[in-house]
Amino acid sequence: MKRRDFLKYLGSGIVGTGVGLAFGKVTKPPGAKLIPYLIPPEDVIPGVATWYASLCTQCSAGCGILVKVMEGRAKKIEGNPLHPVNKGRLCARGNAALQALYNPDRIKGPMKRTGERGSGKYKEISWNEAVSILGRNLSELDKNGATEGLYVLTSTLRGHLNTLIREFMSSYGSPNYMQYELFQHRNLIYANRVSMGLDAIPHYDIANTRYLLSFGADFSSTWLSPVNLSHGYGEMRQGGARRRGVLVQVEPRLSLTGANADEWVPVRPGTEGVLALSIAHEIVAGGYYKGADASSWKELLSGFSPEHAARVTEVDAGRIHHIAKEFVKTRPSLAIGGDNLSAYRDGLSCLVAVNILNHLAGNIGRKGGVVPNPAGLLKGRTGTELRKDRITALAKSALEGDVKTLIVYNTNPVFTTPAGVKLERALRNVPFIASLSSFMDETTAMADLILPSHTSLEDWGDDFAEPSTGVRVATLMQPAVSPVFDTRGAGDIFISLAKALGGKVGERLNYKGFPEYLKESWRKIYANNKEVAAGALTFDGFWNRLLEHGGWWQTEEPRHKPRSVSVRRVKAHIPTSPSEFEGDEGRYPLYLVTYPHAGYLDGRGANLPWLQEMPDPMTAVVWGSWVEINPKTARKLGIKQGDLVTVESPYGGIDLPAFLYEGIRPDTVAVPIGQGHRLYGRYAEKRGVNPIEILPVAEDKRSGELALNSTRVRLERKGADGKLVKMGVRTEELGRGIVQTITPEEFERIAGKEEA
Amino acid sequence: MSKIVKKVKERLRDFRRPGYYKEFEYNWTMVIDLDKCNGCEACVVACHAENNLPIVGKDECSKSRAFNWIRIERYVEGEFPNVKVKFIPIMCQHCNSAPCELGCPVYATYHNQDGLNVQVYNRCVGTFTCATYCPYDVRRFNWFTYKWPEPLDQQLNPDVTVREMGVMEKCTFCIQRIRVAKDRAKDENRKVRDGEVVPACVQSCPTGALVFGDRNDPKSRVAKLAKSPRRFRLLEGLNTDPSVIYLKRVMKKSGSKKHGEHG
Repeated sequence: MKRRDFLKYLGSGIVGTGVGLAFGKVTKPPGAKLIPYLIPPEDVIPGVATWYASLCTQCSAGCGILVKVMEGRAKKIEGNPLHPVNKGRLCARGNAALQALYNPDRIKGPMKRTGERGSGKYKEISWNEAVSILGRNLSELDKNGATEGLYVLTSTLRGHLNTLIREFMSSYGSPNYMQYELFQHRNLIYANRVSMGLDAIPHYDIANTRYLLSFGADFSSTWLSPVNLSHGYGEMRQGGARRRGVLVQVEPRLSLTGANADEWVPVRPGTEGVLALSIAHEIVAGGYYKGADASSWKELLSGFSPEHAARVTEVDAGRIHHIAKEFVKTRPSLAIGGDNLSAYRDGLSCLVAVNILNHLAGNIGRKGGVVPNPAGLLKGRTGTELRKDRITALAKSALEGDVKTLIVYNTNPVFTTPAGVKLERALRNVPFIASLSSFMDETTAMADLILPSHTSLEDWGDDFAEPSTGVRVATLMQPAVSPVFDTRGAGDIFISLAKALGGKVGERLNYKGFPEYLKESWRKIYANNKEVAAGALTFDGFWNRLLEHGGWWQTEEPRHKPRSVSVRRVKAHIPTSPSEFEGDEGRYPLYLVTYPHAGYLDGRGANLPWLQEMPDPMTAVVWGSWVEINPKTARKLGIKQGDLVTVESPYGGIDLPAFLYEGIRPDTVAVPIGQGHRLYGRYAEKRGVNPIEILPVAEDKRSGELALNSTRVRLERKGADGKLVKMGVRTEELGRGIVQTITPEEFERIAGKEEA
Repeated sequence: MSKIVKKVKERLRDFRRPGYYKEFEYNWTMVIDLDKCNGCEACVVACHAENNLPIVGKDECSKSRAFNWIRIERYVEGEFPNVKVKFIPIMCQHCNSAPCELGCPVYATYHNQDGLNVQVYNRCVGTFTCATYCPYDVRRFNWFTYKWPEPLDQQLNPDVTVREMGVMEKCTFCIQRIRVAKDRAKDENRKVRDGEVVPACVQSCPTGALVFGDRNDPKSRVAKLAKSPRRFRLLEGLNTDPSVIYLKRVMKKSGSKKHGEHG
């Protein structure tokens, strides 16, 4: 008995020794939870935080972060102030990455399936066993000469994990390495290629623009690089003494970005492309476009007079003319298109139309316009490659028995594909599936073997942000904490797999682990690139600086090289008529618009309690799904706020509570994506519904992007209690002057009197 | 008669002088530019992470028991298609004549020498008076002792107390960060520099709508922004003298010419 314990028992002496002993058992001996500081770890000083510069992987924007670590635990994530993408800022999802790391529902170690596939019965095994099972499977394929039967499916990876998997696959002898996510901006990349010859996403310089015409792009919550673009938005509005920029949002359902716009153009769903070309028509007809090919543009756009467009789009001709004039006369201006716009069946063509607008107004390659990015330090997957990575193609190969072994990492296609793809059935046809997921999601539940990988705060890695900010950006990811559970880095898993396989693969990937591979790869970048090496005497010095700053990036202003869109290039790609929607108009009278939820994105954030309890920015709903209905439409159908409603498409129905919303057209309803997980941990499971299930399989033939706005639906009231929970009650000010405003004219008068 | 009234008034004012400090060492102030704020909720989650706010679940949320030290209010007005949406982040306004401070029977909430309205958790007996007096609805009550399922508890910030059942709580302007900065400044024998204290919400704000600093320092960003002709304070008529200053949103008047109408 220790002296301390003895004193404690003395204290409770009246109660007697028996109780004292029990007490001693309940409270662990003092010191059990203390860190022995005789030989203190290098970076642990009690009470003092250590900050690690790293990379955020909550979406594919590639923001730089600083992770606050105290006593070996990650406490807080903040933006890296040096990083050019997010400039020290961070969104809600980035903040919540901590709850992915410390999620109580993480898979705690490698597991082998024991029950039937999908039954969820697994047995814990060791890493050695897990790697050797997969290794044996792959060498068997190799023996049978069926190496092409190995498929690897990952999220959008751009860094050296991507090159590692690529090397693994090529040396193993399989061309089937695919990347798939729901929001991959395939349409945008392809549209840029056909219109500007740019097989990438450019930087949209919102910060310096004075007139932003956005077609459905909700950059305030999810689109492209939300933190970078939101920062740009703040600069555009009140960035010092310059003129305040105007935002015009064109979309049938008012998004968060639309809610902040000066003007909302509630266009008929699917006709945005026609509207954009009609604006283009007005630019050319008004003689604002001075290019040599003005006459051929005139000819191309002749069918898009505002009068014609007004009938199609339900935006009046005068307004179209007005927007065209403002857009071309306000310098610099910028048109962007995304989310809602690219989610139509001909979303790609609509995006081409947006590029035409930027060309005609002379916005491409200008400050405050479209700024093409310089070639990155490391090429990620090109748009051309992305187009081949189709989930429908994978499903088809799986059904035909071509997929012998599938390795899935960091993507959940079973959740993000419409029921019509029959992916789950296709996966049942795959003899062996291994998942590297850290969470039991719908796709991982199909796996025979689970090799749980680290979350981003425990792992090594890097990323080359796309879109970047007009300069070259590389971000390094380093472990901020030691692994919470018995997991391994995805790169390490591939390297140990290569070791188990031996032969050509083993030779090619002969590294101790992924950190060594990463460092060696960076040594090459350092050696081949004068600009990167500048200012560093040795590679080790450079590497340390890389770890300290969280990456490497150019610090100069982006160079502006004009690019043009030619009639010849876009001729075959412009939208000639409104996008098609499935479902007979009589039976299914309402358009369905689906959009990524600000917190859950494509569903990946639904297992993080902070995001579940974060009120949706527009509706303030928490912990669930809802369908947005215009009050007029609701009145007609006898639907009240919070009623349970069935939303039925030709492909199925979902039941969810109604949210009456003035910011949506009476002929449209909207449902957010992200909820409705069957699996995925206690916070996500059986909460809300997944609208993707009732969508048709509508993939763009050219880019492979799934059209999310492609069906009409009907509504039916099912009951009174939809269990809608939202924060706050009132959305009227009732004359209390809570959010005070001044008019733009008044602001013009006082502008300049402000000091910032 | 009027003399007596005057005297009583003076006494009352004396009594009400926040914390009885003649002047503040620092005058921590937040300026929120409503023309920049886009309502993205990043501040809300950042605050949860920094200040150990519990997650209460759907049922408790439906009883309005969710914890938000900072929240975004949204006002949706008008009918389709002339809809206007306005956002405003609201946290404890750190009023210099705070109604909540008058009510507390145990002095759990008082004004400190920095002009902050602070809450002493281990004095609080949960009478709910302060929350009733607060016109801004920013105080939250611990109806239960909330638990963090393992290993989520490893994320808890050791610089901030984990509150227990029966305690009232609210935004502190991240006082733990102010303390660190003041300690460092004291060690280096100087005042806290502008931009040295950044509360969690301000740090994360993607648009840069939130700015925090010491208004006693005339060179600080907040002191400059506080002079903006767009300035206003929330429910100013109540004379609570808040330390949070809002800058008006630039917006067309509803009822003025329809958006985009020409000619």
